[in-house]
Amino acid sequence: MRSWMKRYDIGPATAGLLALLWCFFLVFLLYPLVFVFSNAFFLGGSFSPLYFKLMFTSPSYTTILANSINLGLVVTLVTTLLSLPLTFLLVRYEFPGKVLLIGLILIPLVLPPFVGAIGMRQLLARFGSINLLLLEAGLIDQPIDWLGGGLAGVIILEVLHLYPIMYLNLAAALANVDPSVEEAARNMGASGFQLFRTVTFPLMLPGYFAGAIIVFIWSFTDLGTPLVFEYRDLISVQIFNMVTDLHQNPMGYAFVVTVIMLTLLFFYVSKRLIGGNGYAMLGRGNVVSAMRPASLSLTLSIYAVVLGLSAIALVPHVGVLLTSISTRWFLTVLPTAYSAKFYSEIFAQDLTMVSIKNSLFLSSLSTVLDIFLGVTIAYLLARKRVPGRNILDSLAMLPLALPGLVMAFGYVAAFSATPLDPRITPVPLLVAAYAVRRLPYMMRAAYAGFQQTNIALEEAAMNLGASPLKTIYQITFPLLFANLVAGAVLCFSFSMLEVSDSLILALKEQHYPITKAIWALLKRIADGPNIASAMGMLGLTLLSGSLFLASRFFGRRLGELFRA
Amino acid sequence: MVSVKFERVTKILGESRAVDGLTLEIKPGELFFLLGPSGCGKTTALRLVAGFYTPDEGKIFLNERDQSRIPPHKRNTGMVFQNYALWPHMDIWNNVAYGLKMRRLSEPEKKQRVGRALETVQMETYAHRMPNQLSGGQQQRVALARALVIEPDVILLDEPLSNLDAKLRIEMRAQIKEIHRKIGRTMIYVTHDQAEALSMADRIAVIRRGRVVQIGTPRQLYSCPESAFVADFIGGTNLLAGTLEECGDWWMVRTETGLMRTANGEKKLARGDRVFCSIRPESLRLQTEASISDDGNGNRLIGEIQSIMYFGDREEYSLRLADGTVVRAVQYNQPPGTTAVGSRVKLHIDPRDIVVLPQDSLDA
Repeated sequence: MRSWMKRYDIGPATAGLLALLWCFFLVFLLYPLVFVFSNAFFLGGSFSPLYFKLMFTSPSYTTILANSINLGLVVTLVTTLLSLPLTFLLVRYEFPGKVLLIGLILIPLVLPPFVGAIGMRQLLARFGSINLLLLEAGLIDQPIDWLGGGLAGVIILEVLHLYPIMYLNLAAALANVDPSVEEAARNMGASGFQLFRTVTFPLMLPGYFAGAIIVFIWSFTDLGTPLVFEYRDLISVQIFNMVTDLHQNPMGYAFVVTVIMLTLLFFYVSKRLIGGNGYAMLGRGNVVSAMRPASLSLTLSIYAVVLGLSAIALVPHVGVLLTSISTRWFLTVLPTAYSAKFYSEIFAQDLTMVSIKNSLFLSSLSTVLDIFLGVTIAYLLARKRVPGRNILDSLAMLPLALPGLVMAFGYVAAFSATPLDPRITPVPLLVAAYAVRRLPYMMRAAYAGFQQTNIALEEAAMNLGASPLKTIYQITFPLLFANLVAGAVLCFSFSMLEVSDSLILALKEQHYPITKAIWALLKRIADGPNIASAMGMLGLTLLSGSLFLASRFFGRRLGELFRA
Repeated sequence: MVSVKFERVTKILGESRAVDGLTLEIKPGELFFLLGPSGCGKTTALRLVAGFYTPDEGKIFLNERDQSRIPPHKRNTGMVFQNYALWPHMDIWNNVAYGLKMRRLSEPEKKQRVGRALETVQMETYAHRMPNQLSGGQQQRVALARALVIEPDVILLDEPLSNLDAKLRIEMRAQIKEIHRKIGRTMIYVTHDQAEALSMADRIAVIRRGRVVQIGTPRQLYSCPESAFVADFIGGTNLLAGTLEECGDWWMVRTETGLMRTANGEKKLARGDRVFCSIRPESLRLQTEASISDDGNGNRLIGEIQSIMYFGDREEYSLRLADGTVVRAVQYNQPPGTTAVGSRVKLHIDPRDIVVLPQDSLDA
C-alpha cells in the first residue's frame, strides 16, 4: 500500500476526488453505453446479432445508413475544400483588416444549423425567395428543387455551419508548421503544390484530422437540421423516432451501436493515418515568420473570397431574421409586412417563457458541474500522478467523439424505470447530459491553463511559505481565471442550444428547454415558425456574445477547443 | 548560518534513480555548487532540499534537523528557479513581498525588508512594474530578491543564469558572488556550466548519474581530478591511453606515441594498469615558444597542425600525433605567422602537468 501511494502521490483528498469522478463517469457515461451495447446484442438473455443482420440486409435500413455516411463524408469533403484555400490566405498573408475577416469566418458557428434550417426553408423552398427571384428575373421558368428532397438542404446547412471548425483546425495546424521546414523543402527545389503535397500538408495532417473528425461526427449525427427539413432517411432521425417505443422495437439499439462503431472506426482510422501523436515539431530554431504582406490585388481577392463565402453562409441567418420579423411572407421574395411582435410573443407565451427559464436553470447547473469536473480532472492530470491517468483523460474527452444523440438515447434506455427516469423529471439527466457533452471544452480550457501556468510558479509560492491550499487560491486560480471563464462561457452557451439531448430527454412541455420549444413551435401552424425564429435569433445573439467573450480570453487558441 | 547534509539519499523518478545514495555535507555559509551534465540528478538534489520531492531513501538535514518529511512551505529555503517563476499577476513589489506576507510580518517591517532586498539586487526603482515589463536579467534579479527577502536558511539556485545572454551571465556571476559575500548565507547552486562553477564556488560537487564523483575546491578539481570523467568535464583535457610501466620517482606510461614521464598519479594505481595521461590543452606547449624552461625531464612529441582557431587572446590548435591521436593545445600570445596548418611542430609537456588516471574512470 505504501509503495503504491509512493508511486502515485495520492493523499486522502485526492483519492476522494478520484472516487467521485469515477462514480460520475460510471453512472453517466459508461453504464448507459454498456446498457445500449448489451441490449443491442442480447435478445432475451442470449447473444443474437439479429438486428444487425436486419440492418445490413434490409434495403430501407442500408439506404438510411448509406445516406448518413454520405452526408458526413460529403460535408467533410466540401468543408475541407472550402477551408484549405481560406487557411492559406489568412494564415500566410498579412493585410489590413485581417482580424476582422477572421471574425467574419467564425460567424456561422454561432447559428445552430437547426435554427438556420428554418430560414433556409423559407428561402430555398419551391416557392421560396431564391426561386421567386430567379423566376422574376426570367432566368428560369420552373422552380428549382434546391433542397433535393431535404438531403441537399441538410448538406448545405451543415457545410455552412461547420466550415469554420474546419478552418480553425487547419489554421492552427498550418501555424504550427515550422516555416523553416518549408524553407528547407524550397531549398531542395520544391515549390507550389508539390511543396504543399510533400511537406506542408503532411505536417498539417494531425490538425486536419482533428477537425475532420469533429465535422464528420457533427454532420453524421445531427438531428435538428433533418427534423426541420422533414427529411427522415437518416440514422439520427430514425433513432429519435425509435426512442419512444424501445420496448416494442429494439432496432434503435442496433442503430445507436452502429453509430458508435462508425465514429470509433473513423477515429481509429484517422489516428492510424497520422501515426498516433503525429509529428512533433523537432527543436525549433529561430522561427522566421512565414507571414508575407499581400499585394493590393491579392488583398482585394481575399476580401472578395471571404466576403462572398460569408454572405452565402449568412443566408440562413438572414432567413431566420426575416422570418422572425415578418407578419406576411407568402409567394414574395421579401416579406410584405414587418413587426417585432414575435419577440414580445416570446415573453408572453408559457411555452417559450418556461423553456427559457428551464434552459437557464439547466445550463447553469451543468456549467457549475462542468467547472467542478473539468478543473478537478485537469488538475489531477496536469499536477498529480494518479492511477489510470490515461483512462481518466480519455473518459473526459470521449464525449467529443460521442454524438449527443447516442448519449441521450443511452440515458433514456438505461434509466427508464429507475428513479432517474426522464418521464418523471428529465432535470438530473439533462444536467448530466449537458455536463458530459461539454466537459471536454471545460477540461481543455482548464488543462491549457494549468499547462501555461508553469508549475514553478506554484513551487515558488510553497517555497516561500504558502501552504498548498493557499497556493492554489492565490497563485493558481488567479492565473487560471481567464481560461476558466472562457471555458464556462462556452459550456453555458452551448448547453443553452444543445439540440439532441433536449429533444430526446425532455418529454413534457413543462420541462422543455429552448431548443425543444423551438421544435415544438415549428410544428405549430400559424405563427409558430415566426416565434421559433425569434427564439433562434435570441439564441444566436447569446452564442455570438459568448463566443466573442471566449475569444477575448482565449485569443488565437480558440480553435484548440474545437478539435478531437 | 546553516549546514546542509544529504545522508545516503535516493530519489526515484519514473524508472531511473535520479539521485542515487547521495551523501554530501555542505558547510554553513558556503557557496556550494552541484555541477554535472544534464540529467545527472543535480536539480533533483536541489528540489529535495526545497522539499518538492521527498527522499525515497535516506535523510536530508539542515543544521542536524531532519527535514526529509517536512513540506516545502515549512522549510524556510529560498529558491531561485531556472525560469525565474515570477508570478505574472503580481507586480515586482508583491512578488518579493509574498514570502513575508506568508510569514505575517508587520507592514513597516515588510516594507523595509522588501526595499532592502530590491536594493541588494539594484531593482528598487522597478517595484511597481509587472514581471513582463522586465528584461530577462532584471527578472532574474527580482527572483533572487524574492528568495533573499525571507532570510532563508539556505538559498537554492537552479541554473539561475542559463537563460541570460553570455555577457550578462558573466556580470551576474560577479554580482551573485558579491551578494553571497555580503549576506553570508549558505547557498546551493546548480549548474552544468563548469566555467560558472569554477569561477564562483567555494566548493563543487561533481555529480554523475545521481552520485557524487568528486568534491573539492575549484582548484582541487581542476588540478587534481580523481577520474578521467572529472578531468574531461572540468576544463576539458587530452587523454592519452597507455600502460603504467614504472612507479618510481617518476612514473612512466607507455603510450602509442611513446613513453611519457609523469610526476604524480592516482595512488591506487600499480604497474601494468591501463591508464590515461590527462594533459590540459594549456600544458601542451608548442616548441616555437622561445622560453621553455626544460630541466631535461620534459616530454617531447611531434604533432602535425590540423587546424588553428584564433580567439584574440589565444589560439587553439588541433594536432595529430604520430599514432594518429588528435590532441588540443592552447597557446597564449603566440606571435603571428609562426605556425601554419600542415606544418609539423615539436610539443613539450612538463611531467608535473600530467595527471595519470585509471582508464575505467572515464565512464565511472
